[in-house]
Amino acid sequence: MFKNSVIKFAFFLNGSDSYKQIKEIASNFLQNQDYYYKKYFDIFMISLIIVSITILVYEVKHSVPEWMDFFDIYIVTIIFTLEYLARLWVYNDWHSLVVKEYGESQFLNRKFSLWKPSKIALQGKVEYLFSPTAIIDLLAILPAYRPLRVLRIFVLFRVFKLLRYTKSINQFLSVLSSKKFELFTLLFLLLFITITAGIAIYVFEEQQNKDINSLFDALYWALITISTVGYGDISPVTPQGRVVSMVIIVTGIAMISFVTSVIVSAFSEKLTELKENRIIEEINKNEEFMIICGYGQMTRMFLKHYSTEYNRRYIVIENDKEKVEEAIKEGYRAIHDDASKHDVIAKFNTDYAKITLLALTGSDIANIYITLNAKALSSKIRVITRASTDKLAKKCKLAGADSVVMPTQIANRMLFSAITQPVMYKAIYAILTGQHLAQLDEVNLTYHRKLVGKKLDELNFKENKLLCIGLQIGISGEFIFNPPMRLHLEEEDILLIMGRKVSIEHFKMSYAEIRYV
Amino acid sequence: MFRQNAFMFGYSQKRLFLAQELGCQLMGFTIIVNDKESYNKALKDGYSNVHFLDITEDTALEQLTVKDNDYLICVMDDHYLNVFLTLSLHALFPKAIVVALSDSPHTTQKLKMAGASKIIDLYQVSANRIHNILHKPVATKLVERLLTSDEDFSFKEMLIPKGSSLDGVMVDDFDFTWHGVILVGMIDKRLSNQFIFITSGLENRFDVGDTIVCIGYNADLEKFENYIKL
Repeated sequence: MFKNSVIKFAFFLNGSDSYKQIKEIASNFLQNQDYYYKKYFDIFMISLIIVSITILVYEVKHSVPEWMDFFDIYIVTIIFTLEYLARLWVYNDWHSLVVKEYGESQFLNRKFSLWKPSKIALQGKVEYLFSPTAIIDLLAILPAYRPLRVLRIFVLFRVFKLLRYTKSINQFLSVLSSKKFELFTLLFLLLFITITAGIAIYVFEEQQNKDINSLFDALYWALITISTVGYGDISPVTPQGRVVSMVIIVTGIAMISFVTSVIVSAFSEKLTELKENRIIEEINKNEEFMIICGYGQMTRMFLKHYSTEYNRRYIVIENDKEKVEEAIKEGYRAIHDDASKHDVIAKFNTDYAKITLLALTGSDIANIYITLNAKALSSKIRVITRASTDKLAKKCKLAGADSVVMPTQIANRMLFSAITQPVMYKAIYAILTGQHLAQLDEVNLTYHRKLVGKKLDELNFKENKLLCIGLQIGISGEFIFNPPMRLHLEEEDILLIMGRKVSIEHFKMSYAEIRYV
Repeated sequence: MFRQNAFMFGYSQKRLFLAQELGCQLMGFTIIVNDKESYNKALKDGYSNVHFLDITEDTALEQLTVKDNDYLICVMDDHYLNVFLTLSLHALFPKAIVVALSDSPHTTQKLKMAGASKIIDLYQVSANRIHNILHKPVATKLVERLLTSDEDFSFKEMLIPKGSSLDGVMVDDFDFTWHGVILVGMIDKRLSNQFIFITSGLENRFDVGDTIVCIGYNADLEKFENYIKL
């Protein structure tokens, strides 16, 4: 009976979209670094931690108002406790394990055991409970318990809790962990020399030096001396003791220099990577951004004209270090990496963000590979690829490119028009380069809802000094050139108009109204 | 068939399309190359009017029969040579129209200084194209259709001939939509030799000798061109 109810409950949870949605939202807020709104949650938690530490520290010497105490005891503690429990909840799924086990046991005609999936789920939860971050979270809740003042020492854990939300400290630790071997070796050497020197000074001076009464005093002196701090509260009085001092002072200086150089080298090795990761993190915070692969002449030209329009919502990936430096020098966001590698594009927030990728390297093969790589990762990524010939353009399309740009072909066509129809060339050139005297623009009815239902005739194109060139019918995507003026506009239609920038802007402003989905 | 004469300097894989189109559409089309390989390739591709010259030598260039308003197209793959050639051609044939291809803003500036009348920056037009694809996909598709010669849809320049029914008609008084074409702009000889977009807000009148630019389906454009001749 109980088992059946549990299975039913597990199936209910497994099939409930709202439960899944709530859990996903919680998981995004707590764990997903790429989630756009996580930064707000992090800022809130950091503020809460800082406020609570301030109250606890202030309370040591002063009496705090009752409301402040209330805030710290109840509000902060409740939020910390809820966060702790939520993290435990999202760590793994018990119900899916039960459902899976039940399905398998039915399939194999075997007796269903509730204990097996519950044990796995429980093991997962316990594993989480004993993880360093969970322990810190738990201990950070304790200072709220007022009757035991000793628990206030756990305020330190609230400081440690900041680690979870501050990336720089985590990055610092990760840099240090890359030199774990060197640092541990030095630590053992330090311990060895400290213990040896401590024993030596103890043996030599225990009888003669009134400040050294135990081995602990000797070890304390050795550590203070080797670290070159030298408080001076204990100093050697015998010639043998002084020799030991001289030896460990020299060793100490050498070791400190060694440790410093190890840390500095770790940072210099990782600095570029850290910087680049930071750029990627910043880019990933946008809901919409652009990845430009390759920093060649076309990318330069594109960024020169349009980088301000994209307002730093773009990133250049180039595998030539010199070109990357050049791009950074020009003030563009660039990282040194190979865009054809799966891991490189996978670093971007392909699940949530609207990404446009421009494959503009000088190599057609690389561009096709980059296109395939991006499309394999997510079909939602919009890819525009550069190709040099028609045949390669077809291959790019096969690889999944949404649009293909062929510089040579465009230039050839422009040249051809410039010679055969020079007046027309001026018109096209003005339209293509978006000059002020004439622009070809689109009016998307999704953003200009006031136009829905209107007859083209009512829009007074002539009075607005505009030309209605065409209409793309929303649902079918069919394009009607020179549409009849009796036509009524419908939702998602796109109107193609031509005119001066000022006329187009005025027209768009008159009918702007966004539909919120 | 267009009446212009053109000399194309340089012949490579990248310029096959241009050579092919110009060869078919122009009355006089000559290819000039400075290496034997390109010379042989052009001959093999069926071009009869191909010259093999040392284009760095003015004496060799002077032998070309270039008339006023002929087009001199500088599309050498070597951009240094292209700038040098533009300079030489402009000095030798100042009344000819030099059209050049550029690969950077610096080269564009140099070509301008060297006397090129029209410069097409390969990467600038491509960068604009990418931007247009992203922000105006429908408009970009339309422009692409207009530029592709094998489409049934294009731009057309038309000269208003003597005795045309358009002569003396105000632009606002004429209904182009009835003919299935859209008037984009014109050169109003009365005012200037500049191209004016119809959306500029000026009141223009069609007169004999004016050039109008329309877009539409080729069949409609043809019909309209015949109509204005009446």
